[in-house]
Amino acid sequence: MTVDQVSSVAGRPSSAAGAGRAGSAERTGPSMTVRRHRAFYMFTSPWIVGFALLTITPMAYALWLSFTTYDGISPNWHYVGLGNYRELMGDSTTWDALGRAGLFALLSVPLSIVAGLGLAVLVNRPVRGRGLFRTLLYLPAVVPPVGAGIAFKNLFDQNSGAANGVLTFFGFDAIGWLADPYARYVLVMTVLWAAGNIMIISLAGLQDVPRELHEAARIDGASAWRTFRSITVPLLSPVLLFQTVTGVIASVQTIMPMLLAPLSTTGGLTTIPQSNYTYMIHVFSEYFALGRYGYASALLWVLFVLILIATGLIFRFTSGVVFYNVDPEAKK
Amino acid sequence: MTATSVNPKSPARMRIRVNRLVLYTVLVVVTGLFLGPFGWLVLTGLKAPAELAAAPVHWLPTHFQWHNFADAYRLIDFLGYARNSLIIATLYATLVTLSSAWVGFGFARLTAPGKKTLFGILIGSMMLPQMITLLPTYLIFAKLGMVDTYWPWVLWGLSSAPYLVFLFRQFFAGLPRELEEAAIVDGCGYAGMFWRIFLPQSWPVLSASFVIAFTWTWGDYIAPQLLLSTDRSTLAVAVMTTYVSSAGTPITNLQAAASVMYVVPILLVFLVAQRGFVAGLSTSGLK
Repeated sequence: MTVDQVSSVAGRPSSAAGAGRAGSAERTGPSMTVRRHRAFYMFTSPWIVGFALLTITPMAYALWLSFTTYDGISPNWHYVGLGNYRELMGDSTTWDALGRAGLFALLSVPLSIVAGLGLAVLVNRPVRGRGLFRTLLYLPAVVPPVGAGIAFKNLFDQNSGAANGVLTFFGFDAIGWLADPYARYVLVMTVLWAAGNIMIISLAGLQDVPRELHEAARIDGASAWRTFRSITVPLLSPVLLFQTVTGVIASVQTIMPMLLAPLSTTGGLTTIPQSNYTYMIHVFSEYFALGRYGYASALLWVLFVLILIATGLIFRFTSGVVFYNVDPEAKK
Repeated sequence: MTATSVNPKSPARMRIRVNRLVLYTVLVVVTGLFLGPFGWLVLTGLKAPAELAAAPVHWLPTHFQWHNFADAYRLIDFLGYARNSLIIATLYATLVTLSSAWVGFGFARLTAPGKKTLFGILIGSMMLPQMITLLPTYLIFAKLGMVDTYWPWVLWGLSSAPYLVFLFRQFFAGLPRELEEAAIVDGCGYAGMFWRIFLPQSWPVLSASFVIAFTWTWGDYIAPQLLLSTDRSTLAVAVMTTYVSSAGTPITNLQAAASVMYVVPILLVFLVAQRGFVAGLSTSGLK
């Protein structure tokens, strides 16, 4: 590696290392290492260029817009410095929306991880037909958001939904599931429905847990729960950490409230019940219902920074807890 | 609850049998719960409008309205939207699979100064919230006149996807070094080495990547909703937004039938490609 770097920095192709071989096989061209370096950048350039143009540029553009009053229509938009950020700080709608997004993440992420892990343990038991159960339990995770949204809208419909059918069958009153205090629970349930995703990933982790560990625990007389808690969970902790991080990021960005809302001309934006008016929905409303690109860009950047902080905090707080199995002896 | 070794044979066997029965019951109930929402969607799609308004819920349709599926298909240009979805998803999945394989090869088999940093950024960018970048991207595409064209998907496809790059990197990194040496002996450049030797080896990842990217695009609602006008849009957008009567009320049963027809192809694709799909998921999850 260091030799590679030196020769590439010096830019002298046919020095000691490469001269003999390169000289005989080809005409006097760049050395193997330089060709390798060039090839690396040739191969990775689609991603580098794409990342610069389709991720960095839009983010930078949004950052710039966040300091302006740009709305896409009026010609005399201008620079307002931190004006949008100041407005955002004092806007209770924003804070409420952020609180709802946080609550949604706090409910949906742990619940779906517990559900996914539970399913994984269940279908990891040696029973006949477990392959079929795995497939069936995973299927909902393949259903696209639009399909899931429509399915849950019908399931929790006030009149024709199965949920109220069950409630009234047992003599309870029907509930307006998709309306105000309850809509948030339906939203959480759409996430739980896709717990098969976490099941599959945890399952791969479970199968990597060395068998001897379980046997040793059994010989020591550990209960099933104890084994699960002291062996399985620690060994799965990197997977669970990864799921927590991606789960939080996904939950903050979800547009499911739009898909669960009654149909409207704004794609559901104006009919979303208060309890599902999350931060991302707030951003969409400012962006598209109100066309306040400048202000909405400030909202986006605040969310972006908050996600970075949350991810950092998750990693920091779990650094002592997460167990990375690096023992070379402990192969499968 | 404790160790089984001391117990006499028959009660132990009995207990295993009971355990198994409990396990199966739990499995069946849980699986039923997970399939319930989809089952209810199918049932809703088979009901008559009057039944959906009936006071005690009709669990099963009194008459199965199979024609709802044909009606849902005819009410909108279903085939046209499906074709749009198919074109966009195939276009994106093909391009992004090839570009990600290309980039993944670079990260797996080549070195250069700065590689470590770049790979760190690649992995980190998997965690970037895509919805956040999508909105300003939309404004930029609008400025460039690319709204209502398929160019955004071409560009996204060409620029590879970090997740798929990672899958390919893991695969290519595991191939033996002799493959490279064989290529060098044959006088291939790195591009030739990739096309002629490494790519043909990677069929499992290629197909997994294609299926994953295809399902992403088929399932995507927000990008086509923002970037495409109504009649160039995808099935996801059409199913969500177009089943409305002229009075503005949703046509629930036909929408349910349509969403079944929208979801089932993707379920079938998954069932056929299951193995690679799941393997891909697990690799990425474990990092």
